[in-house]
Amino acid sequence: MSILAWCVAAWLFGIGVYGIVTSRHYVHLIGCLAVCQSATYVLLLGIGFRWHAGPPIFYDHPPGTPAVDPVVQALVLTDIVVSAAMTALLLAIALQVHKRRGTLDPQHLRPFRQEK
Amino acid sequence: MSWLVGALLELTALAGSLVVLSRDPRRQVYALCANGLVLALLFFALQAPDVALSEITIGTVVTPLLFFVALAAAAMNKARR
Amino acid sequence: MNTTARIVLLVIALVVLAPAAGMLILAMPAFGHPLSQYGDVVNALAPRLRNISNMVAAVNFDIRGIDTLGEECMLLAAVTGTVMLLRGHRGEDMSERAGRVPGRKQPSRSDATVLLCRFIATVLFLFGIYMVLHGTVTPGGGFQGGVIVASSFVLLYLGESYRAWRRIVLGPALAALEGTGALAYVLAAALPLLGGYAALQNVLPLGTWKDLFSGGLMVAVNYAVGCAVIGSFGVLLLEFMEETRAPENDPVPDEEDE
Repeated sequence: MSILAWCVAAWLFGIGVYGIVTSRHYVHLIGCLAVCQSATYVLLLGIGFRWHAGPPIFYDHPPGTPAVDPVVQALVLTDIVVSAAMTALLLAIALQVHKRRGTLDPQHLRPFRQEK
Repeated sequence: MSWLVGALLELTALAGSLVVLSRDPRRQVYALCANGLVLALLFFALQAPDVALSEITIGTVVTPLLFFVALAAAAMNKARR
Repeated sequence: MNTTARIVLLVIALVVLAPAAGMLILAMPAFGHPLSQYGDVVNALAPRLRNISNMVAAVNFDIRGIDTLGEECMLLAAVTGTVMLLRGHRGEDMSERAGRVPGRKQPSRSDATVLLCRFIATVLFLFGIYMVLHGTVTPGGGFQGGVIVASSFVLLYLGESYRAWRRIVLGPALAALEGTGALAYVLAAALPLLGGYAALQNVLPLGTWKDLFSGGLMVAVNYAVGCAVIGSFGVLLLEFMEETRAPENDPVPDEEDE
């Protein structure tokens, strides 16, 4: 149990990279990138987690009761919101590629080919 | 509580793998939705309600919608060509 | 590069990196027993120093406030880039006609869907606003509340038609909201400098613990982030939807050519 969280994070990152490498569709590739990002969320929240501790919100229970680490939670929170905007940016780039080249398959794109 | 965290961690690994292994982008969007939901549940179990709230909205509503719209726009571009 | 070569490269990278990853996993602290003291210090000191009950908001908006300013600028830059990319090809004008993929059936909405979407969209919108307002007290805050409000726009689209959605959700207002939010954050960081304080230093009265307006400057920063996030995600959804509209000079898209 004590290393399960790290193994899950490593697995998510690894399978995301595998998906990116073998992807044949840019939209699918961006989805795989989202899986890679979720690996960092699991890792960060796992680092801050503490058994038998409450959430870091002292509304119902007074300050001083054991609570998990709020710093990593703040990191992950902003990361999720910004990563959604980055996903939108990547999707917009993919749409531009589709408009110019007519394909979303990375293997049909050549860097210096003349536009059709 | 430890079995809950363990089960959700394994479920997260499974959901992430399904996102990668569903090769059809249109089906992958549903897998992404499920992945977002499982991640949100895991964050709740890890005592992070703030993070879970933003993940459940971003992961199950906003990102899948952007994917769907991008796929629809690509299909329309193809039809116009 | 073809698929085989890519997979060979991936396997080589995996063989090289797997032992390192394994050693790292074994060297990590045990799950559930954190080593860092930072979080404990924040949990112990922030309720007393800032009269605030949500520690995540305290870290985001006060203790690591400058980091969040960076995140805010990243959000603004990403949204601006997306909008520029999408408009670059399409132009700036907006249209009210939804496009459609030829050959795909379009089932009409049932009354139940329309009613449910109107109801839930309203509740979700109010819940998002509530989330933003109570960011410093209970779980929630500008980021979460902002995306919840933006997702209520999605439900409006689902329930109404594209045309009606276009009239309800005003693009310029959302863009203005986004810019205002980001500017307000920058001002909140910069104005204390004029008085000889550090950037983002909490100079406002802190209020009482568990109160809606507790946290001083954090309340203002929280609202600024909420405005910016609502604006950014509204603009993103709007611009992406615009990508699927019918082209101006197209006949009514009813022909069934594949």
